Formats: sequence, structure tokens, C-alpha cells
Amino acid sequence: MDTKSKIKDLLVDLLRVKPEQLKDDVSLQDSIGVDSTEMVEAVIALEKAFNTKLSPKEITKFCTINDIEQIVSSKSGK
Amino acid sequence: MNKKIAITGIGVVAPSGIGRRQFWANVKAGRSFVKEITRFDASKYPSHIAGQIDDLDKYTHVSERLLKKIDVFSHMALIAAELAIQDAGIDIKKEDPNLLGIFLGNAIGGWLYAETELRDLYLEGREGVSPYMASAWFPAAPQGQVSIYYGIKGFSKTIVADRASSLMALGYAKKVLGKEKLNMILAGGMEAPVTPYALLCCNTYGGLSKDNKNPQTAYRPFDKKKNGFVIAEGAGIVVMENIQRAKSRNANISALISGYSTTCDAKDRINPDVGGKQLSRAIRQALADAEVNPEQIDYISLDGLALDDWDNSEVTAIKEVFGSRAKDIPVSCPKASFGNLLGASGALDLIITVMAMENSLVPPTINLDEPSPNGLNYIRNQAKEYKINKALIISRGRGGINAVLVVEKP
Repeated sequence: MDTKSKIKDLLVDLLRVKPEQLKDDVSLQDSIGVDSTEMVEAVIALEKAFNTKLSPKEITKFCTINDIEQIVSSKSGK
Repeated sequence: MNKKIAITGIGVVAPSGIGRRQFWANVKAGRSFVKEITRFDASKYPSHIAGQIDDLDKYTHVSERLLKKIDVFSHMALIAAELAIQDAGIDIKKEDPNLLGIFLGNAIGGWLYAETELRDLYLEGREGVSPYMASAWFPAAPQGQVSIYYGIKGFSKTIVADRASSLMALGYAKKVLGKEKLNMILAGGMEAPVTPYALLCCNTYGGLSKDNKNPQTAYRPFDKKKNGFVIAEGAGIVVMENIQRAKSRNANISALISGYSTTCDAKDRINPDVGGKQLSRAIRQALADAEVNPEQIDYISLDGLALDDWDNSEVTAIKEVFGSRAKDIPVSCPKASFGNLLGASGALDLIITVMAMENSLVPPTINLDEPSPNGLNYIRNQAKEYKINKALIISRGRGGINAVLVVEKP
């Protein structure tokens, strides 16, 4: 599974949103109205899933799926 | 001047039913819903019976996304609030959100969520704990969730006063509406004590019935063989508004809340004053607040903890206030059929009393075979027809908290 699909699956499962709600180039705030606590949870889950250290300052509610993919890929060296 | 406040909508989530019709049908028939706890293995607890709600998900309008962030007591409050608003025929989007309030009571908070996360804290460390823990467990969480769900922005409060919490919330809501600073209040309470830790605490308290082999007859308030109460979960929320506003929107006014009072025994950290002096003072003050004479009361909803000191002092207080009439006024404790909802018990007592008024039918106290103490007109084991114009509701909490509400037919 590619990184982007893995991120989307993780967010759908974690936040209980519909897959079609997540758009590659729309921020999480605009697509699903994510709140700050959901972001904390998402960052922790992404860290576990990709076995890397991520900061809530770099992955925020203003990130798109594409942004998250880029950050995760660069950190995990994929 | 005393202002009577209209009840225009009822929402109930109880072991005996979700929604007022199903709930009333079971309460008036005296059907017991106390069962062995099945949510978790409670078999080693001295008391492992309760009024449990198994079909909450069937009725829910709450999204899965929200459900994972909240405890079951907030979930129950959201369902009861929605049912109450629907029953009142209110389109909340058309209301001024600044003039809507929420007054809810509960005694213990959201433990099903809390204890699961605390277990994870010790097993997995800090990162094992859901970030929603902080906003899910505390007693005011349902107030927050209901306010967010409907966009309610006016003066609101959560009352924590042990088992008297929700009756107090209703009393305060009455006072606040009387000042005409809000248009409408959602008032009542919710409680979810059927969890491993909450049940443990209730067991440690020592007041629970251990008659696990006979769940349906275990809770026996005012009976000679009383042996303690049985816990239950659920929520009761009503829509309250000023009479004029209710009339102007052609609302169906179910009842009026006309009097409220509360006192403290100041005697013991757990048990009540056996003389019931402060309870009788609370009754007198609530009657005075309602501008009602003791002679006018024609139904009393009893607290009925099924422990000697509590039941005896409750009866003593009633006899002290009502004198020779105490033996004639119909009284009952319908919660024996579904269990004691602790902080939410008073809200359900109010809802039952309102429906008793509407139907001119006093629902029974089940399991009351041989009254002790004697001297009251206990309606037991079978509902009985009575025209009720004015009624009194008693709710009490540990540490000697007394709360009394007076309700009237519109």
C-alpha cells in the first residue's frame, strides 16, 4: 500500500469519517472540520504507523493529505 | 414573587424504556428491569445487579465520530435532550442561542471512558491514553456536549450533589427562568454507574442490595425486608420555559414547576439525620415557594433508598409536615422497578410524576409487601387512579443533602 493510501486509511479509521470526505489537496480543517484533539490523536497514530517522530507543529489541521504524505515520507526516508 | 415554570417537553432514557411512552407503560405496570449485570463480569462484586440499558445504539442520532470522544453518560444526555426537544416541538435553530440554557446534574462523572483510559495509562504509558479522556470523564462533560450539539450559549450549570443532583438542577433552572433572563432551559440529569470501577465504589459505600439471586425483587424501598438499593443508568431531561412563552407558541404544557428548596442535615458525611428535621424544613420551604399549603398536596414521589435510616427519616419528615393527612396522601417510589439512577434519579422522579398527573394514575412501588415504617398511603405493587393537581418530589444525597420540588397541573 502506498503512503498516501495508508495515511487516508488511518485517518478514516481513527476519526470515523468517510473516505470520500478526505481530499488530497484540501486541508483537514476544510475537508472534515478536524479539531485540535483529533489532531493530537492523528499525529500519535501516524508516528506509530510510520515508526517515526512527528511534531504537532508540523502536522496541523491546515495540512492537506498531500502535505502529510510529504512530511511522513521525508521523515521515514520513503 | 414566585414564578411558575412550564414543562413542555420530556426526554427519558431508562432501563424501562427510551422515550416517554415506552417508559410510562412499563413504570405504571410495575415491570421490573433490574437484572444481573452483563456489560462486564461483575460476578465477584457483592452486589452485581443493576438497571442496565442495552439498546442505546438503536436510538442514537449521534455520529460515530462523536461517540468515540464521549462517555456513555454524555451519549444518554444527548439522546434525552433530543427526545425532549422533539417532544416540545421546538425548532432550536430558530431560537436565540444566547437565551437558551442547560442545567444538568450527575453524581459521579463518566467512568466507563475514564477507567478504560486509566488502564491504558498504566499498561502503555502516556501515549496510550486517548486525548479525549480530558473532556470525556468530568461531570460537566454532558453540559458541554449538549451545548455544542445545539449551539446553546446562555447561562448554564452542572450540579453535583450526589443523588440529589438532578432535582437540584431542575430547581435552579426554575429559579433562573423566573428571573426572565433566558427563554428556555434543558434541565435534568444523567448517570452511568454500571462500570467496573463505579460499581466498586457503590459497593464500598455499603448501601447496595446483595440479593443477586432475585434481581427483580431486590430493591424494596419502605418494605420490612428492605436490604439496600440497586444502581441504574440513564438520563432524564425536560424542556422548561416561561408559561407565557409556552402559551404564545401553543405548546403543550405538561406540568408546572412551582416550588423548590434545599437544605443540609449537617450531621454525617454519609448518613442522613435520622430525625429528618432538615428534610421536613426543605419540604415546608418548597411548599412556601410554591405558595401551596400542605393540605393541597395529593401525591408524593419518595426518594426511597431502601435503607432503614433513610426510609425512616423520610417518613418521619413527611409525617412532621403533613400531620394526620400523611396517612391519606398517595405516595410511591416507582424507581424500585428500574433502579436508582443516583444523580439522575430526581429527573426521572419528576418525569414520572408529570406523567402520573397527566394520566391521573399513581405508579406503584414494587416489592413493597409489608410497609415499614407504617403510616403512609403507600401505593404498592399496582398503579391506582388518583386525580393529582399538586405533587411533591423528594430527592436526597449522601452527606445530608435534601432537595424538594413542587409540581402542579397546568
